[in-house]
Amino acid sequence: MKQENIRNFCIIAHIDHGKSTLADRILEETHSIEKRELRSQMLDSMDIERERGITIKLNAVELTYEYNNELYYLNLIDTPGHVDFSYEVSRSLAACEGALLVVDATQGIQAQTLANLYLALDNNLDIIPVINKIDLPNADTTKVISELENIGFNKEDIVLTSAKTGEGIKKLLEKIITVIKPPTGDINKPLRALIFDSLFDSYRGVITSIRVVDGEIHVGDLIKMMETNASYDVIGLSINTPKEKQVSSLKAGQVGYVYASIKSISDVLVGDTVTLEKNPAQEALPGYKPMKPMVYCGLYPVDAKKFEDLRDALEKLKLNDASLTFEPETSKALGFGFRCGFLGLLHMEIIEERVEREFNIELIATAPSVIYEVILNNGEKLMIDAPTKMPKKEYISKILEPFSKVSIFTPTTYIGPIMELCQEKRGNLVNIDYLDEERCTINYEMPLLEIVYDFFNKLKSITKGYASFDYEITSYKESNLVKMDILLNGEVIDALSIIVHKAFAYNRGRIIVEKLKEIIPRALFEIPIQASISNKVIARSTVKALRKDVLAKCYGGDITRKKKLLEKQKEGKKRMKKVGSVELPQEAFMSILSMDE
Amino acid sequence: MAKYVYIHIPFCNSICSYCDFCKIFYNEKIADKYLDKLKQEITTRYNQEKIKSIYIGGGTPSSLNMHQLEKLFSIIKTFKKDNDFTFTIEANFDSINEEKLKLFKNNSVTRISFGLESIDKNNLAFLERKENPENIRNIINLSKEYNFDINIDLMYALPTEDMTILNKDLDFIFSLDVNHISTYSLIIEDNTKLKIKNIKNISEDLDFLMYKNICKRMKKNNYLHYEISNFCKENHESVHNLCYWENEEYYGFGVSASSYINNKRFTNTKSITEYLEKYSQSYSENVSKEDKMDYEVILNLRLSKGISLTNFYKKYHKYLEDIYDYEDLVQDKLLVLDNNRLYISEEKWYISNEIIRRLLERKK
Repeated sequence: MKQENIRNFCIIAHIDHGKSTLADRILEETHSIEKRELRSQMLDSMDIERERGITIKLNAVELTYEYNNELYYLNLIDTPGHVDFSYEVSRSLAACEGALLVVDATQGIQAQTLANLYLALDNNLDIIPVINKIDLPNADTTKVISELENIGFNKEDIVLTSAKTGEGIKKLLEKIITVIKPPTGDINKPLRALIFDSLFDSYRGVITSIRVVDGEIHVGDLIKMMETNASYDVIGLSINTPKEKQVSSLKAGQVGYVYASIKSISDVLVGDTVTLEKNPAQEALPGYKPMKPMVYCGLYPVDAKKFEDLRDALEKLKLNDASLTFEPETSKALGFGFRCGFLGLLHMEIIEERVEREFNIELIATAPSVIYEVILNNGEKLMIDAPTKMPKKEYISKILEPFSKVSIFTPTTYIGPIMELCQEKRGNLVNIDYLDEERCTINYEMPLLEIVYDFFNKLKSITKGYASFDYEITSYKESNLVKMDILLNGEVIDALSIIVHKAFAYNRGRIIVEKLKEIIPRALFEIPIQASISNKVIARSTVKALRKDVLAKCYGGDITRKKKLLEKQKEGKKRMKKVGSVELPQEAFMSILSMDE
Repeated sequence: MAKYVYIHIPFCNSICSYCDFCKIFYNEKIADKYLDKLKQEITTRYNQEKIKSIYIGGGTPSSLNMHQLEKLFSIIKTFKKDNDFTFTIEANFDSINEEKLKLFKNNSVTRISFGLESIDKNNLAFLERKENPENIRNIINLSKEYNFDINIDLMYALPTEDMTILNKDLDFIFSLDVNHISTYSLIIEDNTKLKIKNIKNISEDLDFLMYKNICKRMKKNNYLHYEISNFCKENHESVHNLCYWENEEYYGFGVSASSYINNKRFTNTKSITEYLEKYSQSYSENVSKEDKMDYEVILNLRLSKGISLTNFYKKYHKYLEDIYDYEDLVQDKLLVLDNNRLYISEEKWYISNEIIRRLLERKK
C-alpha cells in the first residue's frame, strides 16, 4: 500500500445535519457494505446513539475506491458532533489530513459547524465543503452556498449531496481523492501512533484506535504509551472495512486498531502517543491533554437497596468511557449515592439515561454543579465539586469559578434578547462577528455555572430554536459566590443546596421557592419552604396542607374503582423520595436550575 | 349469600351535566323491552336468598310510566323478603305525583331518595336541572303523609356557588325536615357534559370550607354524620348503603349494575343495546382473602363507627393489627382507636384517601 494512495478524513457537521447517513451512503458507494446489510447509520453502534442521532464514540473505517485505475484507501474517521466531546473531536481531527464540512441545505451553518471548522483549520486539514439534504423541499441551496462563500470557500469547490438519494456521492469521493493530501509520515522513523479512541471489549480488553504517523507497528511488538509509560505486547492488529479484517502490521499513514491485553480503559489516554519499547521515538506527538470532568452531579438510586447495583453500572460504563468519574457520596436527604463527573451536560444526560435504561435503575439526579477552586484563609487550595462540600464562609479567603468562552451563532434579529439573557447570566460581551447581514456569532465570556443552569433551554426559547451555541472552558476567575441552602419544614435539604453569585442570590432564591411550591404535593401538614444564605432566610413560601383528598361517593359501582385509585396513588408515592417528613417528587431536585418566574 | 339487591333503571327525561351513570332518554318501547330483559336476568341469577334491602336507582326510576312501574314491582315480587325488609326507590321531583306515591306505598316501598341537588337558579343552570321549591315542598309533605323515609341529595362546590348560596340551599333542606341527607361535592367525571366543556373544580380550600360548614350546620340541626357524605336523624341510616360500606355482598341487576357475590365483584355491560340483546359483563374481579381485607378497611373507614376489631376477627380469623401496622397512624391522630373500634375522626374525613392509603402501605 502506497502512502500516496491513502486519504484520512473525517466529517464535521452540526447534530442532525446528516453526518451519519452521509457516512452510510459513502460505505454503500464504495461497496464496503451491501445494501441489505446496511442498517441505518452503520457507524453508530450504541442504541442510544442511533436514537438521539448523536455519535458518542468514535469509529474508523477503511474504504477502498478505484479512481483513474488506481486503488485508493480512504479512512473515514467518525467524530462526535457535540461540544462535550470536543477534545475527542480535536484528537480525531489530528488523525486526519482532510475533513468534509457538512452543512444542512435547509438549516445552513450552525455554531458547532463553525467551531469544528476552526478546529479543523487549526489542525491544517484540507476542507471539502458539502451541502447535504439538497433533496428536501425546503432546501435553500443558493443561500447556503453564499454562507459558505462568506466564510471563505469557493463556490466551485462546494459539493452538493443528498445522502438520502445518493446524489453527489461519487463526486464527493473523487474530491476526497483529489483535494485531500496524502499522509506524509516517515516510515523509516521510530514508531509514533496517535491514540484517538478506545473501546472496551469484554473478550479482548481495551481496543485502541490509532493513526500511525511515523514508522510501523507489527503484531508481537512491545509497545509503550509515552504519557503513562505503560508497556504492552501487541496481540492483534486490525482494520475495520467495516467488517473487522486482521492484519500483521500497520504502516505510516494507516488507521487501525490494536489489541494488547489492556484491562482498563483508563490506561489508554486519548491523545497519547504509542511508540516501541525498543527504538522509541524521542518526542511524543503534540496535543495531548488529560481529560477533566467539568460538570458534576450526585446520582442516587430511588430505591436505596440499589446502591450496589448503581456502583456496578457506573463501573461498567466507565470501562468504555475514561472521562466519567465517580466516588461514593452520602446525602442526608437522599442516602447513599455517587458524585459523578462529566465532560459536559450532554455527557451527563447520556450517562443518566444509560444507567436507567440499560441497568434498569431509577435515579434521582441532583442539579449539576461545576468545580470550584476555593482558597482558604490559611492559603490551602480546595477543589469543590458539590455545594455541600463548600467550607463555611468564615474559613474562605476567595472562591474561583470556571469561565468559558461562549459562541452563539444566531440570526441577527435575536441579538437583543440574547444579549439580555447573557447579561442575566453574568456574561461579558467579547465581540460580535457578522457572517452576513442576517447571521452573526456573538461571543461572550461567561461562568460555566451559568451555562449549566438552564442556559441552552432559555436560549432555544428566546430564539425559537434558531440560535446554536458552543462553549469552551477558558480559565478560573474569582467571583463573589455564596452557598444557598433550601429548607423544607425547617430542615436543610442538602441535595437542594446550590452555589450562586451573591448579586443574583435573592432573585434566584425567590424563583426556586416558588417553583418548589408548585412541585411539592400538598401533604397532611403545611410545609414551609425557605431559601437561606449563611442561616439568613432570603426567600420563603409555603405549601399549604392537603385540603381535600376524599371520594364523595362510594356505592356499589364505585367500590372497585376506589380501590384501584388508592393503589395507583400508592404507586405514585413510591416514586417519590421521602426527605425528612416531606415527600419530594423527582423534578424537585432539578427545580433549582429553574430561572423562569 | 347476598342479602341486598340493587336494580338499575337507566331512563331519564333530561340529562344532567354532571351525571356519569348509565342513562338514556326515556323511550316507552325501549323501557318495556328493558323491563323484560331485567326480569329475565333476575330469574336467571337470583339464588332465592332472603333479601334485607332492595334499592332501585338510576337514571330516574320515577320516569317510568305507571304501567311500567307496576310491571317493575311485579318483577320485584320474585324476591323473598327478610323480616326487617327495606325498599328504597330514587325519584325526581318533576316525575313524581300522588298516584306514583300511592303505587310505591302499595308495593312495600319504605324509602324514597330524591335528587334535589340545589334550588339556586345559577347552580341549576350549571347542573342542567329544573327544580321548583314550591313543588318540592308539596311532594315532600305528601311523601311524609304516606309515611316514607326520605333522603335528599344535595350537591355543592359548584363553580357557580359561594358560601351564601350553599347556606340558602341548606336552609331550604333543613326546612323540609327529612330524616336523611346526602351531600356530594362536585366530581367532574369522564364522559360527562362538564368534562367535555372542560369545567374545572373550585379551589380545594373553598371546597374544604364548604364541607366543614355543612358538617357544622348538620350537627346543629341534629343530623348525625355517619358516613363521609351522609347525614341522618338517629336510627335513619340508609340500610341499603350500609351494606356497601360494611363490605357485604350484594346483587346488581340491570345495565351497568355492579354485583359482589361469592367473592367476585363484577359489573354488567354498560351498553343498553348489548344488555337488550344478551346478558354480559364488562368487568369482573376475583376477590382474594387479602383483597377482601383491603376492601374491608377501605369501606369501613368511610363510616363514623369505622372498623370493629371484633367483627374483623370474626370475619377473617385474624387480628387487624396483625395485618396492618397502624400504630403510628393512631399516634399521629390520623386514626382513632377507641372501644375496640378503629376509625377516622370526623374532622379528618376530608383527607380520608390519604389516611387509608397510608394504612394500606402499612400492610405487613
